[in-house]
Amino acid sequence: MWQRLTEGVRIEVIGTGSDGPDPLGELARCHQCGQCAGVCPSQRHGGIKPADTMVKLHLSLLKADAPELWLCAMCNSCTERCQLGVSPSDRIQEMRGRATLAGHCPKSFQEEAKLFMRTGLAFPNSGLTKKLRKELGLTELTLEAKTLEELAALVKATTLGRAPLER
Amino acid sequence: MSDRYYLFKGCLIPTRIPNLEKASLIALDSMGVDHRPLPGATCCVEPIGLRSMAADTWLVTVARMLAIAETDGRDVLTLCNGCYLSFQEAWHALQEPAVRDKVNLILSGLGREYRGGVKVRHLLDLAHDKGEESVKSLVRRDLSAFKLAPHSGCHVLRPSKADLRERAYAPRMLGDVARWLGSRVVSEEGWPECCGGGVASVDDGVSTGILEDVCSSYRRSGATCILTPCPFCFSQFDLRQKGGLPVLHLSELMALAFGATSEEIGLRYHRIKLRPIGDSP
Repeated sequence: MWQRLTEGVRIEVIGTGSDGPDPLGELARCHQCGQCAGVCPSQRHGGIKPADTMVKLHLSLLKADAPELWLCAMCNSCTERCQLGVSPSDRIQEMRGRATLAGHCPKSFQEEAKLFMRTGLAFPNSGLTKKLRKELGLTELTLEAKTLEELAALVKATTLGRAPLER
Repeated sequence: MSDRYYLFKGCLIPTRIPNLEKASLIALDSMGVDHRPLPGATCCVEPIGLRSMAADTWLVTVARMLAIAETDGRDVLTLCNGCYLSFQEAWHALQEPAVRDKVNLILSGLGREYRGGVKVRHLLDLAHDKGEESVKSLVRRDLSAFKLAPHSGCHVLRPSKADLRERAYAPRMLGDVARWLGSRVVSEEGWPECCGGGVASVDDGVSTGILEDVCSSYRRSGATCILTPCPFCFSQFDLRQKGGLPVLHLSELMALAFGATSEEIGLRYHRIKLRPIGDSP
């Protein structure tokens, strides 16, 4: 899954092939027409360049710690616009999964994942939450112990349970 | 499709913007919708960060909640674009028997099984399906002073291969509902724009740049308010926008039109305040 290239420094590269992020060969269909680049809101502001990313991925030149992977806003515009079925945002999602397992996930998403595993929610159920809900006459937000137990079992059985997250 | 729903409130609305939860409950009750909270609900494993970190965790987590909904035959009703896409894409993937079998192997450890039933809805398509006459008949307040810029948000539209209800280009459902509720729509969506929320926690510059692109076009349209069915877009517009264009979540516009007071639905919690709305319908 991960190739090691040695050129002075060792870098991790996201591979292709049957165990890579492109088992169906979608990347090979990319003609570099640039439709994805034209609709990408992130590229306009110095973020990810989806057409470039697809080439790098196809040629096994994309490093696992490439910051651009996380500069995608996941708006799916590229996938919607692509006429050749390359689905760039799907490819980026898959690469993020691989980058996460290799320990290259941004801290903010790691914190979100830890909160999710601990509380079942992606945002904190804070003192302010309780105050606002009370002022609005809403019931307190609680998750039952059984729900959290079931979630813990699912996490343990799947990738998130194996992801190397910073303490 | 059933007319009975399990309401899935998500994470962002109940923790940080519970005023949208209040508005949604009022809107649903006003329409006579049979709803109750989804038991055992967790986060949907949102489709931007969490899901891309661990796709299998996403699929089994949503499958567990679909299995719970299926036991009572209630469709899942969401108030958030992220939740809607997360549930809808999982539902779609789980229609494939081989995928469902693998997921059910894990769910069997919890004594649960998902058979592929129930549907996933968003407040937007629920309101649109009510139809023009039905929605108009519920309006108790004149909202014609509102000049709205509809902003559907990405995840209720894209990718269309997930069989989402709204069309991906030039969506019209949100504008239709806004007009039926009596407000004016001053800009129509062509290629729907992103709010930049998906990259906000990673790169402030990229996120703010995307946000300002879309806000400036809404300001130029003469709109006095943005309307969105998504709480993530709502938060971007209300908390991070440089200008002062107010935003309403669809549930708030519905609740106001159906006669709720601005006090009741907590409009005071908006950072960018709307012009005072007469509270006697």
